[in-house]
Amino acid sequence: MTDGLLSLRAVSKSYWRGAHELRVLADVSMEMSAGEFVAVWGKRGAGKTTLLKIVAGLEAPDTGTVHFAGRDLADMSESAHARLMREQVGWVRRAGPRSDLSMLDYVALPLLVEHGQRRARSRAYDALARVGMSECAGQRWESLSDGERALVGIAHGVVRRPRLLLVDDPTANLGVREREDVNELLRSLTGEEQLAVLMTVPGMPAAMGTDEIKVLSGGRLLAQPREPAPQTNVIEFPSRERSA
Amino acid sequence: MSAKHAVLGLVIERPGYGYQLAQRLEERFGASGFAPSGVYSALDQLARDELVRSAGEMGAGPARRAAPRTIYEATPEGVDHFESWMLASSSTPPLRDDLHMKISLCRPRNVPRLIDMIYGQELACLGRLRDLSRLAEEDRAGGSREWSVMMRVLARDAEVAFWNARIEWLQSARELLEQLREEPDRLSVVRPADRLRAC
Repeated sequence: MTDGLLSLRAVSKSYWRGAHELRVLADVSMEMSAGEFVAVWGKRGAGKTTLLKIVAGLEAPDTGTVHFAGRDLADMSESAHARLMREQVGWVRRAGPRSDLSMLDYVALPLLVEHGQRRARSRAYDALARVGMSECAGQRWESLSDGERALVGIAHGVVRRPRLLLVDDPTANLGVREREDVNELLRSLTGEEQLAVLMTVPGMPAAMGTDEIKVLSGGRLLAQPREPAPQTNVIEFPSRERSA
Repeated sequence: MSAKHAVLGLVIERPGYGYQLAQRLEERFGASGFAPSGVYSALDQLARDELVRSAGEMGAGPARRAAPRTIYEATPEGVDHFESWMLASSSTPPLRDDLHMKISLCRPRNVPRLIDMIYGQELACLGRLRDLSRLAEEDRAGGSREWSVMMRVLARDAEVAFWNARIEWLQSARELLEQLREEPDRLSVVRPADRLRAC
């Protein structure tokens, strides 16, 4: 266990379809610190979203441990676990509200119970302003572009000022400029507010500019998370081959 | 593809001397495999063709005995030549990949070694993607949305997409070979018709 914000140790998870075991995560270990921006890429069905769900406490691992801020999630009571996740972990989803809420009320939703409508709306407005979307406060989800939805989703995820933000494919369907805007925003949140961001990406272009890229393959993370490209004798890396 | 047009394009963007241009070439087209010495031969050829010319010299720097460094700029003919190249059609690159051929021609006894090779290449792809990510962060730290930055994003995307597609293909190949290794009987040659009957 390190002093990091998040630590996964040998986490495995399977789903069962009848008698058939579908191993989604196998022996996954990773660490994250405050202010770190990490992207996870894998093919469809590689286990990216399952990884986020386990970190968010929405799924329990079959084996292995998850520590958040030094605490083993498995040792916590259900209510303490729920409170920790609610207060310190934000989740950005691509799906918006199903009801006809304004974006201000949608972003305020996570605060309503504790803070009341007036204060919740005030903080929601600040969160919308932080992502550059205050002008959309009165609009409905259906009227927003994909890029605007991604930014409002981030405002919804950070309105409680969590320490860790989980972001599921935020740039899917976005053009290059919108993708760059979203990543730049997430990067600025990690820098200015020491927010840790764990983001799944639909393709590697969306992972550019992050501190760390992790690849899920067959339920496992591809090895050597922080070392430069390996120089082994089994490969010849094209960029090392020089020709005039 | 030679380094000629890449070097000419860099000189048009900003004049520079050989070593600077070699560094910029590496930054922008690192994965293209241009040798640093290729910059000097490209500059010689461009100068002979009167597409670049000297715009002055820089001091020799700390190595006093070294010759002053020539700063190159593009000539009007060079700019015209570059524009013509920019507007001409581009060819589709050939897929000539050593590992691709090995997989196509491998025998069952080669499978364990091929799995190792594929894994090594996955790691190499990931290493290159991490390098590109660091470059992207440096670009982003500039905080600019100007033309040249967006063009760098697009150029980087092309390389990122290449490594992304490759790592995805490598994963699929390794998964299949690992499955086959676990089922030795399936490594024997089976005629398609027999395979269909077995389903």
